[in-house]
Parts: sequence; structure tokens; C-alpha cells
Amino acid sequence: MVDEGTRKTLSGIPLLQTKAGPRDKELWIQRLKEEYQSLIKYVQNNKEADNDWFRLESNKEGTRWFGKCWYIHELLKYEFEIDFDIPVTYPHTAPEIALPELDGKTAKMYRGGKICLSDHFKPLWARNVPKFGLSHAMALGLGPWLAVEIPDLISKGIITYKEKEPEKTT
Amino acid sequence: MASWEEVKRLAADFQKVQLSSTTQRLSERNCIEIVSWLIDRKLIDLIFTSDGKEYMTSSQLVQDILGELYIRGGRVNYVELSKTIAVDLNHIINHIPEVTHGRKDIYSILGQLIDTSYIIKIAGEINQKLIQQGQINIGDLTIQYDLPADFLQRNVVEKYLGKLIHGEQDKNDSKIFFTESFISRSRAKIKGALTALTKPTVVSVILNQIDVTDKLFFSLFDQLSMYGVLTGRTHSSLYVPSVYSRSQNEWVKNFYKQNGYLEFDALIRLGITDYKVYLKKHFANENVVTLKSCILSFQLVERIEADVEECINSKSFVDLQGSLPNLLDDEDVKIIIDKVVTVQRQRNVVILDNFVISKSFIDILAKNCEGFVQDKAKEIVQSGKYQQHLTELQVKTTKLHKVDVEEDVKVDKREERRKKASSGKSGGGAQGRETKTKSTKKHARTKNLQDDDDDYSEKSEKRAVLEIITIEDIKKLVGDKVEEEGLSEIVENIANYLLPVLNEIGLQAAAKLYATTVADQTASRRHTHNDVQNKVNALLGDVRLFEKGLKCFPLDVQTHLYKYLLKSICLDIVNEILNYVASEKGLNVEANKLTNEQRNKFVNDLTPDYKNILQNLLKTLSNHNIEEFTDAVEVCLTECSMILKKIDKKKDKLVVSNHKQALLEQLDKCDDSALTLHLASLIIFITVTQNMLHASGRHVSSILIYLKQYLSADQYLELSSYHDLVTLMLSGGSEAENAKDLLRERMTTVKKIANEFKKLSSEKS
Repeated sequence: MVDEGTRKTLSGIPLLQTKAGPRDKELWIQRLKEEYQSLIKYVQNNKEADNDWFRLESNKEGTRWFGKCWYIHELLKYEFEIDFDIPVTYPHTAPEIALPELDGKTAKMYRGGKICLSDHFKPLWARNVPKFGLSHAMALGLGPWLAVEIPDLISKGIITYKEKEPEKTT
Repeated sequence: MASWEEVKRLAADFQKVQLSSTTQRLSERNCIEIVSWLIDRKLIDLIFTSDGKEYMTSSQLVQDILGELYIRGGRVNYVELSKTIAVDLNHIINHIPEVTHGRKDIYSILGQLIDTSYIIKIAGEINQKLIQQGQINIGDLTIQYDLPADFLQRNVVEKYLGKLIHGEQDKNDSKIFFTESFISRSRAKIKGALTALTKPTVVSVILNQIDVTDKLFFSLFDQLSMYGVLTGRTHSSLYVPSVYSRSQNEWVKNFYKQNGYLEFDALIRLGITDYKVYLKKHFANENVVTLKSCILSFQLVERIEADVEECINSKSFVDLQGSLPNLLDDEDVKIIIDKVVTVQRQRNVVILDNFVISKSFIDILAKNCEGFVQDKAKEIVQSGKYQQHLTELQVKTTKLHKVDVEEDVKVDKREERRKKASSGKSGGGAQGRETKTKSTKKHARTKNLQDDDDDYSEKSEKRAVLEIITIEDIKKLVGDKVEEEGLSEIVENIANYLLPVLNEIGLQAAAKLYATTVADQTASRRHTHNDVQNKVNALLGDVRLFEKGLKCFPLDVQTHLYKYLLKSICLDIVNEILNYVASEKGLNVEANKLTNEQRNKFVNDLTPDYKNILQNLLKTLSNHNIEEFTDAVEVCLTECSMILKKIDKKKDKLVVSNHKQALLEQLDKCDDSALTLHLASLIIFITVTQNMLHASGRHVSSILIYLKQYLSADQYLELSSYHDLVTLMLSGGSEAENAKDLLRERMTTVKKIANEFKKLSSEKS
């Protein structure tokens, strides 16, 4: 159901324990802490594997997250804004990650740029509450989505490369 | 427990991690990209492994190949290489030249790499095998090692021959190697087989027996050839042991020496199929006579020659079949006879079947028959058969006739000689030797005669041969003598041979006999010729005179008288002529006895010159014209070379008076009453008319009527009454006896009247 690479990545991400949403004052903090730890680990893993592909930060409460992700296709780096909220029923409900730039450019997307995740994702998530966190959502949700959609969109000419930012390093 | 501070700190850590930790490490993907970019730019030369995840340099590949070759014991397949080194087969193939470059110990063959160590290894193996089997074929090795024959030959076997491989190369077939011991073993085998063989054997059989390949056999055979000969270099050729051919030759030589001949069939039985060549080879120096089925030594021929000579000298015969090998067939015997019996000898011998018979022997036989032949000849001449035969011959073309005449002359000569010869032979019985020499001399002569004879018989074939003696007769006559000599099997032949000879003798004898008889006959014939001539002349004169007389009568009576004249005297003339012609022709015919038809037939059968005129003559007989008849007779007589005498009228009177005198004499002696009247009337007529009359009794009455004027009344009455009585008597009936008596009484008166009338008339005249 998930490819080998994804499974490997997934295994490198620490699971979470606390089952709490933003409304659970104390527990949420706990949860948030675990989320961060998980993310840090994930990013570290990515970097080690030279597979760093997003930047993410949250507001003070940790309910709204934003940042950017990129996909390298034919030696060109395509960058997109990420923006999403933690749902109230989190962690029961998976966060709906949105790429507002691509809103209306692809069918695999809900209004507001929310990506349309695979059929497998939601049951997977549901089974793994509360162990899955944001890092999982990134790895299982956005990552595969980009890998599938972006080359397609590029080939259709919907997305064009924009010369930008010297941030990328070789 | 946890506080926002902590969260903040973690968030900050998170940021820090995200920002800082993009390490300098190249990911695998980048590496691939970089490498492929470099390859694209041809900056480096790398080889992809077959899974595409590894690269290697060419030198590494070469190194790997060499290593693999070593590991695999010096022989490795390209495909194997590509599998084990995990490089595409193309790369391997592309790099093989690099591997072998500068390395003389490595060969690239049939998609395989082979180095010297491997070659040394298999050379060792081959050597082992060679020692075991004694002989090795590159072909077999090819199968075993799955290497091309050329390579094995050149780079393995020949290279290490004498070093690692101890053996020899077959000189005739470079693909075969063998060991010294194998060769000597095979040689010993072949030697054994060949010495053991005593009769010709097919090579393949020998090979099967001793289990040696044909090539080896043939190459080794040359070294061992003292035991025999091969007829060829193939499987089916024959090995002929010299012991066999030696004994064969000995047999042939001995047989020839002993028997003086050599049969081809015997040679074939011995297995010498090409006997002609064989004989040419072995009997080149011998003096032989080649026949159809055998050769014959010259000595044997000489012996036969001597036999023939002996047979000629001893006047006997020789049976060549007896003195020749009995396998000769007739044709061969004939060839020998032709050879032996030279032209000179041929004169003295007769060859019948396989017998050579001296001429004198035959002559003796012939003499035995001669008496019989003479008898027969006489018989034939006497019976007239010979005459018939001659006339038959004459009837044939004159050309042939001429030949006959010539031959007759020859025959006569021959006959004379024969007589001389036989007399010579018959004399001096006591001195056998002398007679012998005489007889041989005579042979030469008789030979000539024989030649004549041959010619003669050839000619005589054309004409009808009169058989004087038959084969059966000869067989009977000769049989005893022949059987005595043991020649009974060729009696038939002898008889056949003798038949024409004896027949000829017989014919000659007959001819001689006939000639003597004919000499007699010709004398008499001349005589008869005159007779006939006179007779015919006389008759013709009579006819003329009678005709004169008969003209005194009235016409109606004349015709009757003509008819009678023609039928009586003229017919006599014709018969006379026919008789003469028949005797001229040698035919036995009595014309007097012939009927009209027979006469016609006889005339028709004659040759045309006679036929026509005689036919005319016969025709005139049936007419009532005497002149025509006389004309025809004249023609006939000239044809018969007779002369018709001129009519001599002076003689007529004499003839008439002679005739009358004859009639008167007849009348005197006559007792018959009717004839008396007939004669009397004729006599009276002659005295009255001085002409002769030829009439039958039937005409008596008309004569009397004619005479009435000259007779006195009583005389006439007397005669007419007498005539009536005669008719009465002849008519028969009751008064016949009476009339007879009356006639007898009156006969004298009638005779008297005739006699007296003569006187009267003479007085008158």
C-alpha cells in the first residue's frame, strides 16, 4: 500500500503518544512538544538522506502551520507555499494540507488548495491515531502527492519554473 | 509538566534543524547525475554493470576478465564472463581484443577465452588418452573438448607433439595421431591376419576381424606387402595372399605342363576372373594357341598335326576329339583343325565333325560301294530312267546343256583317271610299303580331282540330280567297314560325304553305258530314217494313184472314198511320221495304237517347231482333201529331214500292175466269200480303168454299179447276185447259213470272172 521508500521514511519518524487536540490545554502542549520532536527527527532524517524538501513553522499555539515545500524535477526546483490549520478534532482528523498556489490547477485538490490525499491515507491515519502526527502527514500525504502531481503538472505546462531565491545549494 | 517554553524551544530547535542541517553530502542520485553528466561530456569512460548501479573502468574490466580466466582454469566463455562480472556481453566482446592484445598465451576462440595453462592441461589429457587408446583422431577430440579441429590440431596437438604428447602423426592423415606401440600392435595384428589368410579375402572382412581402421590398414599394408597383394585401395578390394597366388600359379603351371592345355573356366573357378591378362602375363613366353574356351600348348597342336600326318600316311582316320582335351567344344576343334590341316594337307584328308579322315580311307570305302553303284547305273540306264533324266535336262535351257557337255568331257577324263588309280592301288598287295607311296602320290592327284569335283557338284546342284544311290544304301554298304574301325558314330557323315561322290560315279557309269547303247541306236536310227522315208514316199505314191482311181466315181461316192482313203493310208503316213518324231525325241510311243485324242495330246506336248506342223497335219486328216494332206506331209517331212521323191509317172503303170498282181494273189488265197467279192471288184476296176482303187467292202456295191457298163450281162448278174448273197450273209438272220453255202459254191465262179475279166479286158485293150 505504501511504497518501499515511504515505508522506510516512515519507520524513521518517531511515533507520538499523547492523544490531544488544541483544545486540551495541558495535553495539547504535551502533544505539540511530541509533534515538534517528531518533525525535528524527520527533518534530520531527511537532511541526512539529502532529501530535505520542506520548511515548516507554526504560530504560537501550534494550531496553524505554514511554510514551503519544493520538488526537484529535471534538475529544476519547483517551490510551493504550504498553509494549513490543525483541525479541532485533531488528532482524530488528519490535517488538511493546502498548497494555495496550485488551487484550481489540478483536479486532485479541494477548494482552497487542499490536496486530495489518497484513499489509503485516511484509513491509515484513522488506524494510527494518536501515533501519527504532522510529520507522518507530510511524509505520507504531501510527499507522495508532490511526487505524482508535480511532474504531471510540469509536463502539462501548468507549472513553470520560476527563477528565484538563491537559497538552494548544491 | 510541559510548558509553552518548552514548545517554543522545540519550535526554535526545529527551525534551527531545518535551516542548518542541509549537509554537503551528495546523495546517490546526485552522484548518478554527476557521473552520467561526465560520461555525456566524454570526460570519463566508464562501463555500466548490467544492473546499472555500478560503473567500472575498462582496465578494471580487463583485469576482471583475466582474473576470471585464471579462476576458471584457463578457459572461460564470454557469456559466463558477462554473468559473473555483471557486465553487458557487448562490453566483454569489445574488450576481448584488449585482453588478448600482447598476450600470446591467450586465445579467443568460439566465444571463449583460452590460455596456455588450459592448453597444457588438455595436452596432458590428450596424451593420457593417446596412451590408453593408442590412436587419437582430432575429430574425436573436437567433440570431446568442443573446440575447433584446426585449433586443436595446430595449437594443441602439433604444438606439444613430442613434448607433452608422445606419439606420431599419421603421414597420410594429419588428423590422426598414434603411439609407437599402437602402430606396432596394429602391424602385428595385420601381419597375423595376412599371414593366416590362404585365400583371397575382401579387405572389409579382414578389417572387421582385426579391428583396425582401413586407413591404418592401408598405410601399414605397404610395409608388410610381402605377404600378398591388394587388388585395390577400397573396402571392397581383395587381398590376395601371395601364398594363394603362388599355389594358384603352381596349379596352373602344373596343369598346363601335364595336360598341355588350360581351360578358361578352370581359371575362373580358381578365382582368376581376368584370365586374359593373367595368361598374357604368365604365358607370354609360352607358345600357345588361344581358343575360345582354353589355350592349348603348341606341343599339343604339334601332336595333333603329327596325328593328322600319321592318319594321312596310314590311310586311316583320326578322331581329334580323342586326342584333344575333351572339354573343347566343336568351335574350338574347328579352329584347331583349321590350324592343323594346312592347304597341303587338306588335299589328303576329309574332315567330318571332329574326325580327320584320310582321303584314301574314304576312297577305300567308296570302292566298296562302286560295284553296287555300277549295278545301279546299269539298272537305271536299262530302265530308261537315265534317258528320261537326260531328256529332262535337255528340255531345260540350252546354256545348261552346254555346261553339261563340258562337264561330260571332264567326267570322262576323271573316270579314266580313276580307273588308272584304282588299278594302281589294287596291284601289288604284297609290298605294302610300295603301295603306300603310290597311294600318297595318287592322293595329290585325286586332290585335284576333288577340286574339280567340288566345282562339278556345285554346278550339278543347279540341275536335277538323278539319285543313283541313296544314303541308306551307302550306310548299308559302308557300315560294316566303318564299324570295324569304330567310326560308327559318324556313319551318317561319311555317307553324306560319299553320297555325291558315289552318285557322280554312278552317273558317269550310267552315261558311259548310255553312250554305248546310244551308239547302237544311232546306227539303227539312220536305217529307220531311210525306211520311213521310203515307206512314206511309197504310201504317198499309192495315195496319189488311189486318188486318180477314185475320181472315176460319181461325186457322192467320191467323198466316201476320200474319207476312207484319209482314214486308212493317210493315217498310216501320219503314224509313220509320228513314230519317227517320237523316236527322235527318245519317247516311247506307238502311234498306231493311239486314238485321235492321244495323238493330239502327244503332238501338243512336243516342242513348238514340231507341234505346229504336226497339228496342221492332223487337221488335214479330218478334211476330205488329199492335196492339202500331201502338202502338210511335205512340210512335215522336210522338218524330219526327209526327201519327198518326185512323182515318176513311168513307174505308175508298174505300181498299178504290181498292185493288181498282189490283189490277184490275195484273191487266189482268199477263202472269205465277202473278201473275194471285194477283191474281185477291185481287180476288175483296175483292169477296166488302169487305175488303183482303195475302197472298203462297203463300197463294193457302188463299184459294181460303176463296172456294170464294162461287164457282160451274165457276169454282172453273177456278181450282183453274189453281192446280194454277201449282204444277206452279213446281215445275219435265218438265211445267212444258206447264203454262206451258196456263196461258197459260187466263189470259184466269181474268182474266175475276176481272172478271166482280166484276160478279156487285156484282149480288148
